[in-house]
Amino acid sequence: QKQVVSGVVTDPSLGAPIHGVSVMVKDSLTLTTTDAEGKYSILVKSTDILVFSISGYISAELPVGNNTHLDVALEEDIQSLAELMDVVLVGYGELKRTDLSSAQVSLDDKQVDMTLNTTVEQALQGRAAGVYITQNTGQPDGSVSVNVRGINSVNGTNDPLYVIDGIQINTSGAFGSNSAVSPLAGLNPADIETIEVLQGPSATAIYGSRATNGVILITTKRGKQGDLSIRYGFQYGIQNTPKQLPVLNQQQYAQFTNELHASAGGTSPEEFQDVSLLGKGTDWQRELFTTAPLVNHQLSISGGKEDTQFYLSGDYFKQDGITPGAGFDRGSIRLNVDNQTRSWLKLNLNLNVNQTDDKLTAQSENVIVNTLAIAPNIAVRNLDGSWGGADNANGNSVQYTPYNPVAIANLIQNKYKRRQLLGGVGAEVNLAKELTFKTSLNTNIGTASTTYFVPTYTLGQQANNIANLTITETNSSYWSWNQLLQYNKTIGDHAVGVMVSHEAQYGLVKNVSSGRMGFITTNILDLNAGNSSESSNSSTQSDWAMESYFSRVNYTFRNKYIVQAAMRADGSSNFGRDHRWGVFPSGSVAWRISQEPFMKSITPINELKLRAEAGVTGNQGNGGVYSALTPITTSWGTGFVTSQYGNHNLKWEQTTTYNIGFNLGLLQDHIHIEGDFYIKKTDNLIMKSQLPDYLGTNGNGSIASPTENISALENRGYSITVSTVNLDRNNFVWNTNFNISGFRTKVTRLYSESAIIDRSAWYMNNFTQRSVVGKAPWQFYSYQEEGLFKSVDEINASALPVGSDGKELSVGEYGVWVGDTKYKDVNQDGVIDEKDRTYIGNPWPKFFFGITNTFEYKGFDLNVLITGSYGNDIYNYMRYANSYPNNVNLGMNVFDETMSYAQVATDAQGNPYLLNAGTQQARLVGTANGNNTRISNRFVEDGSYLRLKNVQLGYTLPSSLLSKQNLVKDVHIAIGAQNLATLTGYKGYDPEVGAYVGKSMTANNQPIGVDYGRYPLTPVYTFSIHVEL
Amino acid sequence: CQSDFLDREPLDAPLNENFYQTKDQVLAATASLYGYAWFDYNTTPSYGIGDARGGTLTGTVNQIDNILFETSGASSDNSSAWRAFYNVIGQANRVMSDVEKYTASSVSESTKLYAIAEARFMRGLAYSYLVQNWGPVPIITDNEASLSDTEITRNTVESVWEFVVRDIRYAAKTLSATPIQDGRLTKYAAQGVLAKMFLTRAGISGTRNQSDLDSAAYYAKSVIDNSGASLLADYEELFKMKNNNNTESLFALQWIYNGTWGTQNAMQSYLAYSPEITGFNDGWGGDLGASMFILEKYEAADKRRKGTFMFPGDHYSYIHQSVTNAQTGESTIQELKVPLSNGSFGARAWVKKYVVGRPEDNDGKVLQQRTGINTYILRLADVYLIYAEAILGNNASTANAEALKYFNKVRARAGLSSKTSITWDDIYTERVLEFAMEGQLWYDYVRLHYYSPARAYDLLSDQERGLYTITPVYTGNDLSAEPTSWTISLSYSRKITANSGNFTMPIPTVELTRAPNLLRDPVPYSF
Repeated sequence: QKQVVSGVVTDPSLGAPIHGVSVMVKDSLTLTTTDAEGKYSILVKSTDILVFSISGYISAELPVGNNTHLDVALEEDIQSLAELMDVVLVGYGELKRTDLSSAQVSLDDKQVDMTLNTTVEQALQGRAAGVYITQNTGQPDGSVSVNVRGINSVNGTNDPLYVIDGIQINTSGAFGSNSAVSPLAGLNPADIETIEVLQGPSATAIYGSRATNGVILITTKRGKQGDLSIRYGFQYGIQNTPKQLPVLNQQQYAQFTNELHASAGGTSPEEFQDVSLLGKGTDWQRELFTTAPLVNHQLSISGGKEDTQFYLSGDYFKQDGITPGAGFDRGSIRLNVDNQTRSWLKLNLNLNVNQTDDKLTAQSENVIVNTLAIAPNIAVRNLDGSWGGADNANGNSVQYTPYNPVAIANLIQNKYKRRQLLGGVGAEVNLAKELTFKTSLNTNIGTASTTYFVPTYTLGQQANNIANLTITETNSSYWSWNQLLQYNKTIGDHAVGVMVSHEAQYGLVKNVSSGRMGFITTNILDLNAGNSSESSNSSTQSDWAMESYFSRVNYTFRNKYIVQAAMRADGSSNFGRDHRWGVFPSGSVAWRISQEPFMKSITPINELKLRAEAGVTGNQGNGGVYSALTPITTSWGTGFVTSQYGNHNLKWEQTTTYNIGFNLGLLQDHIHIEGDFYIKKTDNLIMKSQLPDYLGTNGNGSIASPTENISALENRGYSITVSTVNLDRNNFVWNTNFNISGFRTKVTRLYSESAIIDRSAWYMNNFTQRSVVGKAPWQFYSYQEEGLFKSVDEINASALPVGSDGKELSVGEYGVWVGDTKYKDVNQDGVIDEKDRTYIGNPWPKFFFGITNTFEYKGFDLNVLITGSYGNDIYNYMRYANSYPNNVNLGMNVFDETMSYAQVATDAQGNPYLLNAGTQQARLVGTANGNNTRISNRFVEDGSYLRLKNVQLGYTLPSSLLSKQNLVKDVHIAIGAQNLATLTGYKGYDPEVGAYVGKSMTANNQPIGVDYGRYPLTPVYTFSIHVEL
Repeated sequence: CQSDFLDREPLDAPLNENFYQTKDQVLAATASLYGYAWFDYNTTPSYGIGDARGGTLTGTVNQIDNILFETSGASSDNSSAWRAFYNVIGQANRVMSDVEKYTASSVSESTKLYAIAEARFMRGLAYSYLVQNWGPVPIITDNEASLSDTEITRNTVESVWEFVVRDIRYAAKTLSATPIQDGRLTKYAAQGVLAKMFLTRAGISGTRNQSDLDSAAYYAKSVIDNSGASLLADYEELFKMKNNNNTESLFALQWIYNGTWGTQNAMQSYLAYSPEITGFNDGWGGDLGASMFILEKYEAADKRRKGTFMFPGDHYSYIHQSVTNAQTGESTIQELKVPLSNGSFGARAWVKKYVVGRPEDNDGKVLQQRTGINTYILRLADVYLIYAEAILGNNASTANAEALKYFNKVRARAGLSSKTSITWDDIYTERVLEFAMEGQLWYDYVRLHYYSPARAYDLLSDQERGLYTITPVYTGNDLSAEPTSWTISLSYSRKITANSGNFTMPIPTVELTRAPNLLRDPVPYSF
């Protein structure tokens, strides 16, 4: 005899109905969920027992009996909030959070959605302890430097391994004109269910040879049993322009030019003779920067019956740049399906198809640098509408004056289109009650196409007379096949889990690049439109393979003693036959003290867990075993040269990490503290030594030095997260999450005692960052200033710079004189030369942190995220470059501070002295011997900052309003602001500098913490609405 | 997976152990030694050291450290040249060992020896530049074995010269009389370079060694008599791309305009006075031009001047320029009429040699920073003058008929009168004018400096390296005709002081930081 039972489920503390409670007939598959008003109705027998459950509440069981109406009040369950929901993903499996014995940070979709994220890495900033994030460029889809627990490589990648639904993503690779984009741009952040940042060695070591830089597991949303849910989200944002940097306007520029010429010789343009007649000239920053919109539409449909659940979503995202020549849009579709095919068989499918289009002209053509460097007496457009540019008659230089950046950003096209298919199928077979076999086949197929077109143009006297087009097509494919057995058994107080697995992976990349010149039309960007006799082409291809065997054992006793051990063996094609296999063991123990009987009486402590772990992870580098002959062109057809020495003895780089940590829950988890302290020792670091030139290993035509295992690094650090529920009464909830981390990296060994690893940027006047034993990598390395010379006596008493003959420059107006920069004689040999360069700055922070506060009151919610970094130095190269007075002779501008140059006067006794003694800017000299323009510590600035990263105020429409109709279940609207305010002493646009991603940079030569026209990150104001049907 | 699943050899390049299976493959490996490895030397240090430091080139910005004779440990040409020569050595050593180890038995012994001789020639030549510029330098014969050796010490000047002579002499003995392919080395190219090596080495003890001078004369004469080479009738024709590997060329670096980066000649970008004659956004040489020192040496009749430097008003029918009308903004292409230089740099007699013009002047074989004109290392005129100098030897002057014959051939081609007796000064002046902008003059001073340092310092210190104005003089008022002469007047004098402290270049600073072992006293090389 069936009957319909209905009723309302409520939360007595709020007096409000609970939506989404699962109402299930015990020991059956019959199930429903409550609607927005907490109502349910279900067909049952009178003998049935109904189970009402939802995470966060204590489940209730009620016998049906003769009732047709059953109202239920569910009690909130603080404990369950922490535990029930908290099954966390770990490598190749999942664990109850309480059973975790390794350091791991979790983010859920709510936290991800809190900020506006073009790409997923941005969501991690300030959220995850131990993860140091800097956005390398503020352009849309700008790449992000992600350092998990310090620096693990001196000239290889520091990017963590990303694993999206089990698919390992290879992120290394893009340099040159595409270096500025995120490799994860195709992933729709709204699809993300959780992000797990694996940090401890016991957690990461299961990924063996790819885990040294940390592992970030990303899980996407899946359908849940129950009603179909349709969600639509819309976001609209306005990106603001940056604050202006102080460059000279035309009047100041003219006056400065005249003063320079008066003191150092030379003639100014005629118009400069009466400065008062001049206007302000072109404000290049105002001409370039513009506010820009971003739009995001998201639609998802999910749901399913007991046997099949699905999640289908699509997103369209479009972000314009705040300059021309920048922009990003993405379209993506995801389908995740789970099917209980038989009682013993589950199948699942993940499929993601996405496309991203980037505009990269602003980045690849140094548009920001040139905007700050071009003279203000050049017009953006001439009166006849044509583009303005350098003109000799105005004192510009056709050769040196930057090309009109507004014109270049509009004229040159650098388009980067990526298409990606990311997906996999999996099967899960229940072989026995506690034994499961899982297998998954995953793939990642991508194409990337770069279209780079330079049309003919005329900018004043500067011109490009031949148009050229280069099209580069890259195809990549990847597959992996994994087979895994999982055995879980609980016998009394003992719980054991055993996993064994085998995995094979293969990847292939092919690249074809071709170009032509002599285009007559600028509309058809196809090679055929160019001149076939001026064509070029090239290609590359490479593949790799990896095979792995691994196993993990978990054991818990009475839920309080937890032991885990894992072992992975990886075989990689990156090594020769004798060194192919690497073994990566790890182990951890945890003790939940709070489960001990003696702790039960200490009521304030509801959770206390101590953890200790150790493990080995690896890095397989990028090959280097073989010494191949590279084809090159010669007069007699294809020639072959050796381009790198091979090394058949290359072996795994290995990192041994020791970690201790604790989790402390106080006052029913109103306060939760998690802390970790670690030491990471990396040995046999895979890298190329920087050998002396006489070995023929550097520059064009060289045979590069072999890839070797030649150095060691050490990281020591900590990360602490404190989450608190500050207030939870009268409908008002206030939560805080604070995390702080720090690390110290030290190079502990290089290949020889005198070894140094320099990163020297030829495009930045050979700005050098040096790594040596005993220091963190990539210290700024150059001269130290000691103010300006104030008297001849001081000059005579000081070490002076030397000329090429090793002798000191002469003392006098045309040599070293009062008002010149005094450099520190670091090696105290009595002269200033290259040997006096020293360490002048450290790009790494002492600590960094993030604070999230969330407030909820009735339907309102407010999130405030503050991020910060302390103690890192920035080399403000833009300030250095714009401090060189002679710029104005070349049609280039300078910053305001250059006008405060030292003014030398002569006193009654005929002795020179400084009129403005406080200044740092050397006197104007015409025939510069380069003495006052050395790269020095004057432009090293403190990069510490405190940033109001995000503020978002939202409102959820009350159910009382929505209950009047049946269409819309939930509406949430919000307004927000990102990068709203930044407190910093840094003088550039933005202290979050990251790694340099300009056109000329190469993989192992990327300047860190150097600001040379970084695309600024600016405030964004957003409005968003989310509707659930 | 199967055991070979993890064997992944490169897909886009052969491994050296699988290569060298045919004659073509062996020759393809040595082909790269003719250009690619020399690229960093050729692009700027060739004339930066040879001409700017040597005194024929002046300017205010780009080559200023060389022009002021202040080439330092941080100067880019210094480190580029040092690096490039050792890259040549590294590639040559590698090719030699690969050819020895991997050449298939089906490849003839003569091909194998030819390839080794090519490599030894290149290596010897690179060491000759090293010893002349830096004095004692380390001799590396097996790079791979030396990679981890931090004890490597410089070898004495005498050792390095002996090494150079052995390498080149091997090449001269082993190479064939005719090239295997057009532009490849021959016995006579090697003999010619060997003659020059002997001539320079003759002085290293402080006085000129007669037996080396005799060897120089012997090999030079052999080239003159047996090589079949002859002077081109028209000097200017030497520097057109279409005349690559002409009858006068004994050895030139071989370049391709549209190949892999590093296989092209990029000199035009730095030397051409303006983009208007390159057709691209290069032509950055507006600041560079002939020095007063060399301008004063030209006789009015000297045909070499127009082939070496452009004077305002000069007309070149085989180079075109793009001229923009200031009013309409439209540009037209016309035969080059060299404009008066003004602008921010002042007046120059711009560089003409190795400036070949726009794509349309060269059958399209010009791109930005890319031309295909070969760089002369040795041409017959050089051998003629080497021969004359070897015969002159330690004498104050000579009237030797043979010496005069070849000396006067060079002059005659330049349109100048014959001499009946020649001194060292005559040969020196002829060399300055004949080889200006071919990266040579500096090494003439090095040769002199070995046995007469004071003379070398005097000559260098006496050079006028300052700035000047140059104005064309026209007959009548027809400014469209070619000028008949030019008024050149010094506006700013600039002389340098050469001495024993700054004569050789310092080893690049970065190199010393990486390899402090180079500061140790040089030791003899054990052969």
